[in-house]
Amino acid sequence: MAETSITTMVVFLLYIVGVFVLAGLSHQLLSKKSFLSEYFLGSRGLGTWTLAFTFAATSASGGSFGGYPSLIYSHGWILALWIASYMVVPLCTMGIMGKRINQVARKSNAITIPDVLRDRFESSAIGIFASLTIVFFTVCFLVAQFKLGALIIEDTFNFSFALAYEISLVIFAVVVVFYTSYGGFRAVVWTDVMQGIVMGVGVLVLIPIVMAKTGGLENATKTLIQRAPIAVTNVPSPAGAKGTYNDLAFKALGSPHPAGIVYRRPENPNTPLSIDWQPDDPEAFIEITIASDAAGHVISTGNDVKQAIEADPALNNILEVVFPYKNDQVKVIDGEKVSLGATGIIGFPERTTEYRFVMLYGHELVFGPGRSNTGKPFHTLGMVLSFFVFWAITGMAQPSTMVRLIAFKDSKTLNRAIMTVTVYFGMIYLPIIAIIIAARTVLPVLTPEDSDRAIVLVATRLVADMGVWYQILGAIFIAAPFAAVMSTVDSMLLLISSCAVRDIYQRTFDPDVSQRRVKIISYSTTAIAGILITVAALKPPDFLQLLIVFGTGGLAATFLFPTLLGIFWKQMTRQGALAAMIGGFLAMTGLFAPTLVGGSRIDILGLHPNLWSLVVSMTLGVVVSKLTGPPPEHLVRRYFYK
Amino acid sequence: MPLTNSESGEEYAAASQLVEDPVFRNSLREAKIIISIWALAMVYTCTYCYLNGYESHPSDPAAIGPAVSSWFGPLKSYDRDPARLTTPLGLGIPDWVFYGVVTPWIVCLLATFVFCLFVFKEDDLGDDQELLPATSEGDSVDG
Repeated sequence: MAETSITTMVVFLLYIVGVFVLAGLSHQLLSKKSFLSEYFLGSRGLGTWTLAFTFAATSASGGSFGGYPSLIYSHGWILALWIASYMVVPLCTMGIMGKRINQVARKSNAITIPDVLRDRFESSAIGIFASLTIVFFTVCFLVAQFKLGALIIEDTFNFSFALAYEISLVIFAVVVVFYTSYGGFRAVVWTDVMQGIVMGVGVLVLIPIVMAKTGGLENATKTLIQRAPIAVTNVPSPAGAKGTYNDLAFKALGSPHPAGIVYRRPENPNTPLSIDWQPDDPEAFIEITIASDAAGHVISTGNDVKQAIEADPALNNILEVVFPYKNDQVKVIDGEKVSLGATGIIGFPERTTEYRFVMLYGHELVFGPGRSNTGKPFHTLGMVLSFFVFWAITGMAQPSTMVRLIAFKDSKTLNRAIMTVTVYFGMIYLPIIAIIIAARTVLPVLTPEDSDRAIVLVATRLVADMGVWYQILGAIFIAAPFAAVMSTVDSMLLLISSCAVRDIYQRTFDPDVSQRRVKIISYSTTAIAGILITVAALKPPDFLQLLIVFGTGGLAATFLFPTLLGIFWKQMTRQGALAAMIGGFLAMTGLFAPTLVGGSRIDILGLHPNLWSLVVSMTLGVVVSKLTGPPPEHLVRRYFYK
Repeated sequence: MPLTNSESGEEYAAASQLVEDPVFRNSLREAKIIISIWALAMVYTCTYCYLNGYESHPSDPAAIGPAVSSWFGPLKSYDRDPARLTTPLGLGIPDWVFYGVVTPWIVCLLATFVFCLFVFKEDDLGDDQELLPATSEGDSVDG
C-alpha cells in the first residue's frame, strides 16, 4: 500500500505500546480487588468518562470507521437518514435499562448478563442458553474480526513475504489476547477511552481541513448532483477472490447514457470478446460477452474490456473507462514504474451467467432511496423504519453493551455519561457524512470493496503535504480501523471467558471454586479462545460471513425482551423468559436461513428480520408468562419491592 | 407494550405491606418518557425524510411485493426533482437532511439534556458489595 509512511508505522506502534501500558496498569488493580468482579466488570466502578467512551467505542466498533464511511461513499446523503436514530441512541440504549439493570445486577451480585437473567428467573436453563448463544455468535464474529485485524497489519507494514497473512494474524492474536487476558475489563475500557478521544479529536480536526481543501460542502453537494453517471464493477477472479485487478469504472461522457454494463459468460469455447448496445433504447445496457479459450475458460481481463470499448466507434465518444483505486497494477521493471492496468481475468463462479452494473447518477447520492452498483434500491421505507428501531432499540440489548450498564458506579455516573455520549455521537456521525461528501471530489473512484478505505484516503491524501503533525493525524485514521477492531475484539473475548468461567464453570459445576483457581481458568479461557479463533481465522469457512451478518441482530433478538420485561414487568415468568429467548433466536435464524443456501433473507413486508424477531420474542414472552403465571412470590418481592 | 404492572404485584404489596422499589418505579417512568421521545423522533424524521428526500416512491405491490411502502399508495407528487434542491443557510446540507435529520438531532440533544438534568432521578442503586466472597486460599498477586 503506497500511503503507509514511517510516521504511520510509528503511530501504529505507539498505539500498541499504549495498549500494553494500560493493560499493565489495569493488572496492578487486579491484584488489589476481588478477582472475578474486577476482571470481568472493573469492580462495578466505571466513572462518567470511562462509561461514556467504552459505551461509545463498543457500540460504534469497527463499523464507524470502515463500514459507515464506506456506505456514505457509495450512497451519499441518504446515510443521514440511515444513521438518524443515533440522535436518540445514547438516551435509549443507556437510559431505558441502565439504572434498573444495574440495580437488579447488584441485588443478586451478578457480574455477567447470563448471570442477571439466571438469578432474576432462578433458572439454570436460561443462564446456560444465554451463555451458549453469546459464545456461539461471538466466536463467529471474532473469527472475522481477527481476519480483519491481520489484514490491516499486513497492509500497514507492507508485508509482502510468504505467509504474510499468517504472520500478521499471529501478531494480531498475540497482542490482543495478551493485553485482554492480562488486563481484563478495565484494560479494555481504558483502551476504549483512548481510542474514543483520539477518534473524536481526529474528526474535529479533519472537518476544517477537508472543507478548506475541497471548496466546501455547498460546492461539493452541488457538484455531486450534476455528476455524470458512473458504473463501477466488482467482480471476482476465476478463483473467486475479489480485488484482483479486474474491476473498471465506466463514466458516461455524453448522451445518450447507457443504463449500465452487463458482463456475459460465454456459452461456447473459443468465443471472442464482443460488445452489443442499442443506443435507441433508453433502458439499454451495454452487453459485453467475455471471451473464452478452447477449453471454455474465460480469458478476458479488465484491460481487454477497456480496449474493446475504446476501439468501438459507437462507444468511445460516450464512455470513458478508468481504473478504480488500486486497480491499476503498477510494477517496477528495470527501475521504472510501469502501469499494467487491470490485468486480472473477469471470473464467473459456477451458476453465474452474467453480472449487471447500473450507471449511478450524481443526484442518486443526494436523495433517497439510493441504489447499489447492481441496481438494488438501498434505503426503502421498510429499511428506514427498521433501522430507526435497529440502532436505538435493538442496540440496547447487545450483551457487550448491557455488561457496561451493570458496570457503572452510580446513577449520577449514568446520567452524565448519557449526556456525554449524546454530544459525542452528534460530533462524530453527522460530520463524517460532511467529510466524505466534501472529499468525494478529490477521492479516486472506489469499488464497493475498497470504499472501506474512504476515511483513510481522506485523511492521508488531504493532509500529506501539511507537515508532520498532520501526517500523524493521517496515521491515526489509518490506525483507527485497527483500534476499532481491537476494541471490539477485546470486549468480545472477555465476554466469552466470562460466560465460560462464571456462568458455565463456577455457577453450574463448581460454586465453591477457589479464587486462585478462578484466576487460572479465566486467563487460560481467554487465551484458549484466542488460539482457537486464530486457527479458525487462518482459513475462515465461507458460511462465516453469513453468520456474522445476523449475529448481532440474533443476540439482540435473544436478549432484548427477556431482559427488558424481566426488569420492568412483575408478571414475567421463567417459562416466558425462556420462550422469548428461544423464539427471538429462532425467528431471526429462520428469516436468515435462506442466505445459508445462497438465497436472500426474508424481509416480510419489506421490514428487516430484526423487527420481526423482536415482535415474536415479545409476543411469546407476554403470552407464555400469562399462561404460566404468576411467578414465584419471593422473586417479585426481591426484585420489585424494598 | 406490556410495561404496566400487574394486579398480582399489588396483591403481594397489599398482603405484606411492602413498598414498591423506588428505583423500579422511577426507572419505569423514565423508560416510558424515553420511548415516547424515541417514537416522536421516529415518526417525525422518517415521515419528513420519506416525503421530502426521495426521488421515487414505488408503491405498486405487483412490482415491489407487499412492502410497507405499498400501504401509502402512489406518492408521485412527493417525488423530488433534483433540480430543485436547496441547501438552507448555505451549509451545503440538502434541505431534506437539514430539516429532517439535523434539526431533530439538535432537538433530541436538547431533550436529552432536559431529561438528564430535570427528569432523571439519581436513585441509590444499592450497596456496592464485594461480589465474590474472598476465599481462604490463593489471594496472591500473580495470575
